[in-house]
Amino acid sequence: MVAVELIVRDLAFGLMLGCVFSVVAHGLNIIWGVVKVVNIAHGEFIMLGAYGAYFLNLFAGITPLESAPVNAVIGLLVGYAFYYAFLHRELRNKQTITLQSEMVTLAATFGLSLFISNLAIILFTGNPVGVNYNPGTLQFGYLHVPLAALYVAIVSILIIAGTWLFLEKTFIGSTIRAYSQDVTATELVGANPATVASLATALGFAVTMAGGALLTVWVPVGINPLMGALYAPISFVIVVLGGPGKMWGSLVGGLTLGVLIDLVQAFATAQIAYAAAFLILIPVLVFRPGGILK
Amino acid sequence: MSAGYGGTQVVWDVSMQCKDGTISVIVGPNGAGKTTTLKTVNGLLKPWSGGIYFGGNNITDFPAFRRVEGGLASCPEGRRLFPQLSTETNLMLGAYSRRARHAAGATLDFVYGLFPKLKERAKLNVGKLSGGEQQMVSIGRALMTRPKMIILDEPSLGLAPKLTAEIFEKLVELRKEGLSMLIVEQNAFQALRVADYAYVLQEGKVINEGPPAELMDSEELRKAYFSIE
Repeated sequence: MVAVELIVRDLAFGLMLGCVFSVVAHGLNIIWGVVKVVNIAHGEFIMLGAYGAYFLNLFAGITPLESAPVNAVIGLLVGYAFYYAFLHRELRNKQTITLQSEMVTLAATFGLSLFISNLAIILFTGNPVGVNYNPGTLQFGYLHVPLAALYVAIVSILIIAGTWLFLEKTFIGSTIRAYSQDVTATELVGANPATVASLATALGFAVTMAGGALLTVWVPVGINPLMGALYAPISFVIVVLGGPGKMWGSLVGGLTLGVLIDLVQAFATAQIAYAAAFLILIPVLVFRPGGILK
Repeated sequence: MSAGYGGTQVVWDVSMQCKDGTISVIVGPNGAGKTTTLKTVNGLLKPWSGGIYFGGNNITDFPAFRRVEGGLASCPEGRRLFPQLSTETNLMLGAYSRRARHAAGATLDFVYGLFPKLKERAKLNVGKLSGGEQQMVSIGRALMTRPKMIILDEPSLGLAPKLTAEIFEKLVELRKEGLSMLIVEQNAFQALRVADYAYVLQEGKVINEGPPAELMDSEELRKAYFSIE
């Protein structure tokens, strides 16, 4: 009986954790899927999003849920600047990204990752901080669900659904999907490829930094300059699990990973849980190299 | 105009002119530089020397998307549609520029009037359409940009002769609307039938040009082109 309760509890927590993982990975997925660039500094922008929520809470007294939209607006601007600073030179006038450009963007964003995390150590110190946000708990029988985690899970799903609606139902969203399929053809319908790619990058950053704010609910005392080193690989795994460029893939991958980590953690240790999270990549890549989603 | 890729020159001092409201065609064997010539016109390739003029303006340094905004549309080699988007979305994307978007509804009706089959396929992903239907989408998408001129690269490629004839009929219809076209074709007979003026390209050079009736009789054309087929 106790074992069943434990599993139900970890399943519920795993699903909620998975939702926020999904959003954090979703930003990477959009950029990877549309612009075909893997942003190695992805984790650092999650970290900056988390610090954003921390400082907004400290100075403006607002909750991580309210910080998420503020972060998203900042993310739009940061993503736009990031595109022109790091990607534009490599992507312009190219019909598909070349191996050389791929290497250049990997190296450049890797350098950016080191730069931001070290700058963060200087600015924020290495001491971990946290956001105090506790709107109470909800009780289902023996199950105590913290409302903060539940709210964050709901907002996470709304964010993913929102980006999906934007990409499916708006004209500019269609243009972004067109770009992800054929850059040259997109230019031949009269769209400036740089405009489309910079918009997609901005959208990806907005989601990433909003996700960083939401994540703070799960790291009550753990916001630190090096946290990106954990969440970047988690995001990579989620995107590969779900399939790069598949917008619901982020949710599928995130939920899979969240549940897996929580369940393994219940029966073993946290370290083994994170190891398992990466091990699951092997069977998925062997049997479904395009991701879990069809 | 001369052009090429990397260190390989493909087109040597080619000079061509397309008059308003006419169909000009470029015929010639494989590897003659036909597609290369078109790419310098739609902006996907920068010419090595010489220039491209459109409506009296020098557009040589314009990126491809700016040429589309200016009224120069393309049906590129291999059609280059968006296979995972619906027929209607593919068409609507043609109306990207502000000028075209204002009139998008009316243009879409015009395209559906021209190709009624596309209306039946509106919600279907383009990847699921037949070759002929895809060619219609490609022409329709170009029309959605509200062009003054359309550049077509091998519109008959992969199509049955009957379908090809149908497509060329539509192009003649479009000429009546005042549209100019520059068409590259392997299928020389079909193209020469509708053309007002033709260029014969061989090994990157224009070896003959003139109204198609004159070219059909020319010994050079037969030798250069038809004997190879």
